[in-house]
Amino acid sequence: MWKAMIYKEWLKIRWFTLLYTLLGMLAVGYLFLKVQHDTTFNQANNYWNLILFKGLKFFSLLKFIPLAGGLLVAVAQYFPETVNKRIKLTFHLPFNENKVLLSMMVFGSCCLLVVYLILIALFSGIAAFYFPSNIILPALVSLIPWFLAGFSAYYLVALIVLEPVWKYRFLYLLVAATFIPLFFKNGPTAAYQPVNITLAVLTILLSISLLFSGYRFRKGEM
Amino acid sequence: MVKLSRYILVLIAITGLAIVLPKLYWMAFAQPVKSPFVQYSAVDNDFLILRNEEKTVFTNTKGETFTREEYEARLPFVYTRQLLMNRTLPDSINGVEMDPHQISKYRSIFRLKPEDIRAPQPSLFPLFESQSGRVNLEMPEDFFRITWRMEFIDAETNQINEEKSRMFSAVLYKRGFQFPATSISGIPTTLKSCDEGYLVIDSANQLFHIKMVEGKPFVRRVDLPEGLKFKTIQCTDNSDKLYYAYLFSEDKHLYMLTQYDYLLEHFPVDDIDPEKHEIRIYGDLLNFNVSVLGEGFVRSHIFDRDLNPVDEYSEIWPVQSQRKEGKIAAALFPVQLSMTNPNSGFINFYFQPSPAFYWLAVSLLLAIVQFILIRKRKQKLRSQLPDLLIICLTGIFGFLAVNFFPNKFFS
Amino acid sequence: MASYAIECNNLTHYYGKKMVYENLNFRVEDGSILGLLGKNGAGKTTTINILNGFLQPRSGECLIYGENSQHLSPSNKARIGFLIEGHIQYTFMNIHQIEKFYSRVYRRWNPEPYWELMSKLQVTPRQKISTMSCGQRSQVALGLILAQDPDLLILDDFSMGLDPGYRRLFIDYLREYAKAQKKTIFTTSHIIQDMERLIDDVLIMDYNCVLAQQNVNEFMRSFKQFYLEVEDPSIDLKKEDFVVNVEKVHNKVEIYTYESEAFVKKFLEKNGIQHRAFQQVAMGLEDAFIGLTGKY
Repeated sequence: MWKAMIYKEWLKIRWFTLLYTLLGMLAVGYLFLKVQHDTTFNQANNYWNLILFKGLKFFSLLKFIPLAGGLLVAVAQYFPETVNKRIKLTFHLPFNENKVLLSMMVFGSCCLLVVYLILIALFSGIAAFYFPSNIILPALVSLIPWFLAGFSAYYLVALIVLEPVWKYRFLYLLVAATFIPLFFKNGPTAAYQPVNITLAVLTILLSISLLFSGYRFRKGEM
Repeated sequence: MVKLSRYILVLIAITGLAIVLPKLYWMAFAQPVKSPFVQYSAVDNDFLILRNEEKTVFTNTKGETFTREEYEARLPFVYTRQLLMNRTLPDSINGVEMDPHQISKYRSIFRLKPEDIRAPQPSLFPLFESQSGRVNLEMPEDFFRITWRMEFIDAETNQINEEKSRMFSAVLYKRGFQFPATSISGIPTTLKSCDEGYLVIDSANQLFHIKMVEGKPFVRRVDLPEGLKFKTIQCTDNSDKLYYAYLFSEDKHLYMLTQYDYLLEHFPVDDIDPEKHEIRIYGDLLNFNVSVLGEGFVRSHIFDRDLNPVDEYSEIWPVQSQRKEGKIAAALFPVQLSMTNPNSGFINFYFQPSPAFYWLAVSLLLAIVQFILIRKRKQKLRSQLPDLLIICLTGIFGFLAVNFFPNKFFS
Repeated sequence: MASYAIECNNLTHYYGKKMVYENLNFRVEDGSILGLLGKNGAGKTTTINILNGFLQPRSGECLIYGENSQHLSPSNKARIGFLIEGHIQYTFMNIHQIEKFYSRVYRRWNPEPYWELMSKLQVTPRQKISTMSCGQRSQVALGLILAQDPDLLILDDFSMGLDPGYRRLFIDYLREYAKAQKKTIFTTSHIIQDMERLIDDVLIMDYNCVLAQQNVNEFMRSFKQFYLEVEDPSIDLKKEDFVVNVEKVHNKVEIYTYESEAFVKKFLEKNGIQHRAFQQVAMGLEDAFIGLTGKY
């Protein structure tokens, strides 16, 4: 099952994923170009001071980039399945229906994870050139909820797109609109420290939510 | 697995709604809570209270009201310049001469909110040159951290300044510093009158004063009473140059650390908890005013400059949760959830359970509505029991959540 | 004892309060070709959806090779080739990618019939299915089903979008293939003429009920149309027991019945209905279908 499903899912999302990775890397690149520029004009020690004591978030450009990635991959992966109810083909494959959905979700999550890890590695790698760990680690703590939001958005889009009834799609969208902002609260750098684990657990729980709308589709809700 | 996914979604929806619905409610119905502003008048030896009601009212503890001019005249340390201009500044109070220079020298204002302490703290600080011979302080090129040693990192190159790091670490080591530091307090800004370095707690709970004098380390260990631990140390930059810092102990006491002789002076007042309440310390020529502000109360303790208690005053007023709109909210929502908290800089799930039990009645009512819906849809009651239980426990949030994600499963 | 590929028992379904059918029963014998005919809204798609597990009926069940269609095991699903109405396929793939995908899915994958069909298509190897014409897409979908080598083919409106000539060719090919390989086919089609060449058995549904379920030849033999012109146009034959359906324009009457010519003539005589130009009209399956279900 895995070989076939990975092939199919990869065909759907490959260009979007690659394009997104590229754009994400460009964003990280631009971010540090700006850091380079600002430290040149504003002196590095003043720039550090702003980061440490004045609440400057030099990484804030990345705020919605993981979210955009989650939305993009989810739409690329699940939207083609719902056009003309093509998901029927997927359910008719000689595999367990829930396993098929889970394999799609796991593959999408893995792609997203790989891209995110690339972006985080790139970010940390370049940041290490400019900043000590005392600045990078709090920045990463602040980045984590944004990346978790990317995963959550991915899972919620899967749920919403696969749901067969428009009324419920709208209600799920409402739930998503109450949940996703939890990852984007304003606060000082590293303010999410105590809650990151909880948000990660909720995100992981959310990963199987597409089974619900998949089930509703299979039972002929309309 | 599918049923599990539904319960997860219900949980997510309850979480989101428990945050959004109370937020919307308060946006619609919140009324400002006007808290009184309490100051101590050394002229009257009484507290003056400024109330922002429909009109601003100036009053004292006896209920007398004053005009603005009368009020200001009773607070010569606050409105010094105004009184000087009106030529109404008294010559002396309690036998102490009212010299404007002295007044200004001894005047200090300190404010500390819980969110200042309960917040992510930086672990990298600039160590200023405290005797540069210049009027203005300059931001140093490097920043220090105290881990397994004291390290200075040059901002330009992001490289450790080995020589300086070794020099400072060696002196710290010699003075008995136990690495790493557990807290570093100072005033990391050039916008201060002079630099007094940092007060650092080491891993053995010893207090050190560290500064840089002409490029060389100055390290002084401060003797502390046995077992004294601090919640937070707040350095001050007061013009009287008498104290380095206010120190708040774990057992909710307040101390000051004197300059030069490093004596710990204790305010004879307990229950000073900067993690829960806002603390304000006003110093003037004659007194210290330590005020504790919490939700719905203010407590002011007056001490003379030798920290002998002089007077105290407290007042309470109804907070939002005790007013009509708060009681309705308490009935509507079993819990109010928020990601932020006025007493913390951290983001977390902050639960505020309903203080009353009216919400149970609302929950039961909603559960009955759900029961009727179940009957109307001709669903089996047994499969819907968990939903009813969820509604009973989580009220309106659960009611919406279980209906957003319909409980329709086939055997 | 005959074995059945499909057995539907007491199938009942409603959409909300609207009944689709109640207690529908039918069986499809192994190796036979059954055509499901019915007007739009008679429940054809509902039946197909239930068969494929995309709809939970209100009550009753469909068994496919003995397994409830709501919980088909993977191995059973591999035995079923399913053509979705409109020849839906993964159109984001090209013909090579989709073959590669399905070849990894099905153990019995036999690409020959697929490539045979593809060789006749005027498409470039890298052309996405989404950019193909309707007819080309349908051939891809059909080719894939043949390559899957299933035991049971469920074809929902397979002839849609096919050229008449190609349709004919495909039907002949399909029948030949099914009979040679002992495949079972369950099919619906809008174009009933096609079905005549293909199917063994016919199942005709109308709103809420099954009008006929039998061997198509038997059905065509027993179901008849008589034409006559009556003198008194006000005569109403609709309520007579033997009459299945009547179409009347002025005095020209078409009677559809399972009874013989002699029976009808005797009835007219007995009831003193004056008529002329009485004759039995030869019917195709489409005529019979319309006769049975009515024009409206």
